Amino acid sequence: MRKTIAVGVTCIAVGALGAALLGSRATAVGTGSGAAGKPLEVLLCDGQTKVQLAADTPRTPEEGRKVADELMAKWRANNPGTDWIDEEQEKHGIVPPADNSDLVGHAAGQVYGRIAPADVVVWQRETLAMVTRGSEVFHSGDQLGSTIGVSCDMCHPNAANTHPETYPKYQVQLGRTALLRDMINWCIEHPVRGPKLADDDPRMRALEAYILAQRKGTPLNYGRR
Amino acid sequence: MAQKRDLRTAVLLAVGLAGLPATGRAADAPQGPHGAMAMAEQRARLAALLPASDAAPAPPIDPVVWAALVPKDNATTPARIALGRALYFDTRLSRDGTVACATCHDVSRGFTDRRNVSEGIEDELGHRNAPTTLNALFFQTLFLDGRAPSLEEQAKLPIVNPIEMGQPDGAAAAQAIAGDPEYQKMFQAAYGRPPGYDDIGRAIAAFERTLVFLDSPFDRFLAGDQQAISANAKQGWVLFNGKARCVSCHQLNAANPLGSDNRFHNIGVAARHQDFEKLASQALGALEGKEGPGAREAIDRLALQTDLSELGRFMVTRNRADIGAFKTLQLRNVGITPPYMHDGSMQTLWDVMDHYNKGGEPNPYLDGGIEPLALSEQEIDQLVELMFTMTDRRFADDNAREMTRQRELAARQRPFRDTALAMRNVFPFEERLQKEK
Amino acid sequence: MARRIDPETRYYAERDELFRALRHLDRRDFFKVAAAAAGAALASGVRFHPTSFSIVRVADAAPAREAFSFAYISDSHLYNRTVNDRFVNSLMRAVDDVNRLDPQPDFVLYGGDLAQLGQPEELELGAQILRSLKAPVRMMVGEHDWFLDLGEKWRSLFGQETYSFDHKGVHFVVLQSVNEKDFWTARRMTPMERMKTVAGLDNAVQSRFEVGEPQREWLERDLQAVSNDTPVIVFSHSPLYHYYEPWNFWTVDAPEVQAILKRFRHVTVIHGHTHQLVTNRIGNIFFHGMLSTAWPWPYAPEGMPALTVQMNRPDPFDPHDGCGDGRVIVHPDGLVDKIYDLWNRNPVQVRSTYLASNGRQDRPPAPNLQSF
Repeated sequence: MRKTIAVGVTCIAVGALGAALLGSRATAVGTGSGAAGKPLEVLLCDGQTKVQLAADTPRTPEEGRKVADELMAKWRANNPGTDWIDEEQEKHGIVPPADNSDLVGHAAGQVYGRIAPADVVVWQRETLAMVTRGSEVFHSGDQLGSTIGVSCDMCHPNAANTHPETYPKYQVQLGRTALLRDMINWCIEHPVRGPKLADDDPRMRALEAYILAQRKGTPLNYGRR
Repeated sequence: MAQKRDLRTAVLLAVGLAGLPATGRAADAPQGPHGAMAMAEQRARLAALLPASDAAPAPPIDPVVWAALVPKDNATTPARIALGRALYFDTRLSRDGTVACATCHDVSRGFTDRRNVSEGIEDELGHRNAPTTLNALFFQTLFLDGRAPSLEEQAKLPIVNPIEMGQPDGAAAAQAIAGDPEYQKMFQAAYGRPPGYDDIGRAIAAFERTLVFLDSPFDRFLAGDQQAISANAKQGWVLFNGKARCVSCHQLNAANPLGSDNRFHNIGVAARHQDFEKLASQALGALEGKEGPGAREAIDRLALQTDLSELGRFMVTRNRADIGAFKTLQLRNVGITPPYMHDGSMQTLWDVMDHYNKGGEPNPYLDGGIEPLALSEQEIDQLVELMFTMTDRRFADDNAREMTRQRELAARQRPFRDTALAMRNVFPFEERLQKEK
Repeated sequence: MARRIDPETRYYAERDELFRALRHLDRRDFFKVAAAAAGAALASGVRFHPTSFSIVRVADAAPAREAFSFAYISDSHLYNRTVNDRFVNSLMRAVDDVNRLDPQPDFVLYGGDLAQLGQPEELELGAQILRSLKAPVRMMVGEHDWFLDLGEKWRSLFGQETYSFDHKGVHFVVLQSVNEKDFWTARRMTPMERMKTVAGLDNAVQSRFEVGEPQREWLERDLQAVSNDTPVIVFSHSPLYHYYEPWNFWTVDAPEVQAILKRFRHVTVIHGHTHQLVTNRIGNIFFHGMLSTAWPWPYAPEGMPALTVQMNRPDPFDPHDGCGDGRVIVHPDGLVDKIYDLWNRNPVQVRSTYLASNGRQDRPPAPNLQSF
């Protein structure tokens, strides 16, 4: 289980706004006056990670973006794996889960009906964690167990063309009616050429989660080929 | 007795070495022309296999699917079944009176003839292997190239094929039996008409719809009896659905019990000997301007009498993708219906597995789903054992004999085995490129 | 003065007649045309290519150029042969296909992405396999070849990535259209990390493809001497238009490149990267995608050009389905027919008349299974 350091997340979330970086006082502090010759030092809000800039660096959004990227890279190098969800999100655009914040506060004196904002955050982060894990497996031949260096995204970028909303359906490649996970396993055995995943393998559950997530909003239409 | 047994052994040995077909049936049974069992004997055997067949019980498959299999103008009735059965074994339907359906679809030989290619009138040999009539009713199209859309159409074509039963046309076929008062009565009872060529086809089809043989150890295993098949065969079933990639073309389920996807694939059997491009041009020329039944008869002739046979489905659809493609045949009763492939070029199921294991024969039209499988010898044995469990238990003796015979033959020769290709040390198209250098 | 019929008008009229007649034939009669379309147009030079089931128009009357064809093989994504056998076997199948063509094409275009991860052994393996081709080869680079070492190995094997040549009156330009703005230095990526980032089609960390200003300037200079009437064919790995940005089916400076090409009467862009049958037209420029030998991409959820008639959705049981190689027939007027030799399917020919008529004539066959 990966821990997420709240401070780190906040800093990085803010630090990623490249254009705002050079202008905002809340995020990074530039030491040094920028006077002739003296290099500029940009410090991340964790108080440790810093990046050096030449004094005459033009203050454009592009340069700001570069600084933000560099700070990110340094912080990640020192804190590997902590914001893996955001890292994966940056690479592969995960569709976010439904927003349940409209449920907050409606209790009417009931114990289990009482929903707090923290609950909503827990639900959202846990769901996102599983889906993001799925994205990691989906995009990695090694994690899938492929013996030929093939990963799912080679035929299904962003899980395109997976049609999870059409299951259960008669899957011609299997010669019988299949569920999504049957087809995932078939694909792992054949195009990906790896060993089948057990039904309760965390990777299989995560893959299903990711594929379903990417297709959010599509009406169910089981049996459609 | 001993002499006959020795002779049979000698024949079997000779057969094994030469790769010719073996008969694999009881040595004492009376023989008819072209190596088939005598018709009377065959009828007796069939009666023993299917005692209450006139009642035509619905087979153990999805009833909606079953209802869809019977055409509206040929509902199965006892009268039609009886007529069809009589016609199936009647050699008078051939021009010289020696060939009936049962000659090449022999009850004692797995309802096929256990020959590489079939022999018709005047001992003429064709170009294609005879598929079995067992369970044939479940196919969407008939013949190896699917040129007949129904059993009715299929039954009619061999009758008028010059080297099979040799009648000049359908009218002559009807004429050959119309004089028989027995037939006149049966046709009246079945169709309310005098004997006619179309009704001959219908009646035979109605009879063939009773040839349902889906009761095998494998079926009992699927139904839940874990003791029905051996551990090796069960492992074979796992491979069938997995590493060996069989299931995608050999589909088996309640609505489609055959073990066939009803599609046409070039698995590289025909590719061994010919130049497809040249044959394709010839075929297009030969079939120019022909439509419908006329085209079907033309294809029927070309398929059996000429080299164009190797083009397979291409002659029917003229799609480039169908060059050298043949129908996926059923796995039901496969143990008792050697030799295998459209030209009967494979004598044992081990040969079949060797062919698939190495990725078929690469050619420009090879179905892309065929590729080297890297199966070990043990895995091949397991798959073969699985296939032998798919024979209906009414043929259990025949199946056991075949298994022994094929095993012995395979122990002596494995002409299609190529381990370097199978294990992916050499790639199929790499070999082809190197050969053509 | 006698009224002179413009040769181009007459040419189009003759060809329209030919294709109108062909449309009424069913596909079985590949070889039969003569009776249906009478006239000198046919008698003067339509030849049917027995092995390709398509039409090659040879030797026209008025224009000085002759028709010719070239083949293409593209997007092979080779791994080391011990890692992945399928991709290697597929490339060999493509080479076998092209070697079997009779007559042989004038040259073979390799459309880019020869290697999967840009590694030297992958590129060398690819070069070795392509050496079996009988016809001469013109190489084009793709992003999978480039981003491990930024072109070093590629140049040592195949020479400069950007070049042009003339062939039978047509001016050919080969671009390196997969440049990306530096995203790796700030992130302190190793070369392999950079390569793997680019190798992910849906990896958003990478930048979008561009031709870049230096190459655009080169292109302007190169085209200076080329007259507006000369047919121009551009080989580019990225599509040189805007199709779908998240998958880099995109060239950032496409408008600028198109502007440079605007003055020419007939421009055709043959591009890789999309691994699918894709057709587009923007003004005077006709765009055709190439098939991959390794795997097909799905059609993007949006942005597919209106002229594209999809190829049938591929069956994953067949690792060759939706893949293949192909040919381009260059007509004397400089327009091209693009032939997709899809494996295990009938070839699809996207004719110049389809694009020239903006989709009204000669529509390619519709697929059974669409993307959805």
